[in-house]
Amino acid sequence: MTENPEQEYAAGESTDDPTTDDMLVETDVSGSVASSGPTMSANTVVRAENVDVWYNDEQALQDISLDIPENQVTAMIGPSGCGKSTFLRCVNRMNDLIDAARVEGDLYLRGKNVYDDDVDPVALRRRVGMVFQSPNPFPKSIYDNVAYGLKIQNKEGDYDEIVENSLKRAALWDEVSDRLDESGLELSGGQQQRLCIARAIAPDPEVILMDEPASALDPVATSQIEDLITELAEEYTVVIVTHNMQQAARISNKTAVFLTGGELVEFDDTEKIFENPESQRVEDYITGKFG
Amino acid sequence: MATQEEQIEGFGHVSRTVGTVFRYLLLAATLFGIVALTILLIYVANDAIQPLTADPGWHLTFFLTLVLPTLVVSGYLFRTDPTSFRFGAGVVGMLAVSSMFGGGAAMIFVDIVPPVVWFSYVLAFGLALAGVVGLERLDRQLPFLVRFVGAGAWVVLSFGLVPGLVQSLPVYPTDGVMLTLSLGGPVALVVGRYAAAKAGRRGTAVAILVALVAVGAGEVLGPLLAIGAVPATVLLAVAVVPTAGYAVGHIRRFPGRRPGLALAATILGGALVGAVAVAALGFAGPQSWVDWQFLTSAHSGTAAEAGLYPAIGGSILLMVTVAALSFPLGVGAAVYLEEYAPDNRLTRFIDVNISNLAGVPSVVYGLLGLGVFVTYLGQPTGTVLIGGATLALLILPIVIISAREALRSVPDSMREASYGMGATRWQTIKNVVLPRAFPGILTGTILALGRAIGETAPLIMIGAPNVLFSLPTALSSKVSAMPLQVYAWASLFASEPFYQAAVPAGVVVLLIVLLSMNSIAIVLRNKYQTDQ
Repeated sequence: MTENPEQEYAAGESTDDPTTDDMLVETDVSGSVASSGPTMSANTVVRAENVDVWYNDEQALQDISLDIPENQVTAMIGPSGCGKSTFLRCVNRMNDLIDAARVEGDLYLRGKNVYDDDVDPVALRRRVGMVFQSPNPFPKSIYDNVAYGLKIQNKEGDYDEIVENSLKRAALWDEVSDRLDESGLELSGGQQQRLCIARAIAPDPEVILMDEPASALDPVATSQIEDLITELAEEYTVVIVTHNMQQAARISNKTAVFLTGGELVEFDDTEKIFENPESQRVEDYITGKFG
Repeated sequence: MATQEEQIEGFGHVSRTVGTVFRYLLLAATLFGIVALTILLIYVANDAIQPLTADPGWHLTFFLTLVLPTLVVSGYLFRTDPTSFRFGAGVVGMLAVSSMFGGGAAMIFVDIVPPVVWFSYVLAFGLALAGVVGLERLDRQLPFLVRFVGAGAWVVLSFGLVPGLVQSLPVYPTDGVMLTLSLGGPVALVVGRYAAAKAGRRGTAVAILVALVAVGAGEVLGPLLAIGAVPATVLLAVAVVPTAGYAVGHIRRFPGRRPGLALAATILGGALVGAVAVAALGFAGPQSWVDWQFLTSAHSGTAAEAGLYPAIGGSILLMVTVAALSFPLGVGAAVYLEEYAPDNRLTRFIDVNISNLAGVPSVVYGLLGLGVFVTYLGQPTGTVLIGGATLALLILPIVIISAREALRSVPDSMREASYGMGATRWQTIKNVVLPRAFPGILTGTILALGRAIGETAPLIMIGAPNVLFSLPTALSSKVSAMPLQVYAWASLFASEPFYQAAVPAGVVVLLIVLLSMNSIAIVLRNKYQTDQ
């Protein structure tokens, strides 16, 4: 493992510099227009260049390059085992926690390569929130769950207020405002997932990664989460992995289609992907001929 | 119809004879050990308590006042309202087990640690804690090293100065008052908060105050009941107030379980009424060997006057030492191996060896203790410290293995959630992994302590005296233990009366202590499992 938990904030310091930020935004826009046809109205936040991932000797991602725009929802779809979750976990270097995983290529967050030697993955993860497939609140009170990120990151500010705002933005406040000291595990599945979203947005990250956030939920809870994601995209850059193609079509602005073998087959505006894909394989997948 | 049925062919039969035989053989194998042990225990208990020596009237009275009502009430509750039944039984069990531990604690305060010493150290601890927390609150942004050194200096200062200062005061409050503040205070804080569930800040304050006053009542009640102020206060603080607080708090959370209290009231009331009735009617009880005299006197040449007091005290002190040594070492090793250690050859080598160490005979550990502590480090033989250290070494592998099991049962999704929030490994372990694994770790440690309390061989090896006439008063004084005392009665003083009376009585006391420790572990584990 390459992680060095003692060296916090290293990534933060190098990317907080406004001049670098502006410079990179410019190059990003021109670069992406040149490389991948679609219009780039928004700024690129995450950019992958030739990313390969291996688990031991097995290649999970092959030569992935894509640009994820700011304040939009980018969906990753594809059949099981196609590497879409693996890609998500490259962005906040969660793959570092798996001994067998090896990442090659460049992955930039606001112009800073997150796989550079001077990047502390812990500091990186403080700027990238993550919501997992099955709801995993801590066995702590609802309040402590939401305040967890604030506490471990030693954030300044009125925690009560931040907790309340985060729960409001996660559309959970009305249901739990009178029982903040109850255990997060006592909530229903959908509420737990919204609690996890509140927990992820409380420390105010730049990007939110969601790994099939609704796959363990019933349709009602799923539609609540989807509404929530659409709202979150006004303030955050959201990257969501989903199995559910309708979901991707409903909520995302851009869609990346991964197919078996860890290939990125097509990445474009969602409308284009679903109505007029360039690749025959994508069309077959979307129309349900396989996968 | 009948003809029609005959025409339809059945599906035939598949023989299950072998399977049935196998099944009952397995049942027999399952029951064999339990039945054999039960017969032995009944035999031993009969020798120790001698229930047949009691007046038939005594049996009849208690049957009518205690056994019959308990059976009726519990049978009714069990059928109609099982959760209330469990709650009621839990209250009674908690009172019984905590009273026993209260007795042990009272022993410590009467004969080993004077209340004023305890009071002064609690005061020092409170000051140290307040200082550390205050420093933490004052400025979270101070550099870690500054906070650490500041807190360390403050802790050393409070423990260095306060106890001496308090103990050198010309006058201090009575023992009962000091124990009420130093032992009852923390207990009241916890119990009051639990009992005043959802009652708001004022309700909580009232509940804490009530609990504190209840503990303080020991100062008055003790002399009235002729057991002295110190034991009465300790018993109230350790047993009565926590049990009452648990009952009140539980009822406030689950009002539907109120009927469970009827069971508790029936058992406690029945025992009380029975005792009064027996005394009034003049029925003689059994001439039990396990009686007040046995529990409170030391060994004697005549079996009838022999007792287990120094051995009980020795066992308690040994357990405290063993817990203090093995818990941090064992849990520390488990956390390292589970959370930090890389998966390489050295780790696997350590893994295998810890498992092997758990199976090494205890007499070998005794030899190790003798070799390391006595021969090499030159400690005197048979003291509390080296006895505890040897037993701690003995159970260390068990503590490590069970703590690792508990840590492994924390789902990885919790760790991922924490890392995903940008927590360091240390923050993840401290905030997520350890709190979640703690009940499991505690359960494993208590079960391991249960093994240590029954060990004889290591204590013999390190030269613990078989017979001791007074309680050990310090870590460096000689110690005896319950199994050692029983062993001495069965070997050195082997004679008919000792065999028939003192040995079974000692065994019964040892078993009761052991079973109550295990029951705490089991209750913890069950609660832990249902919580998740």
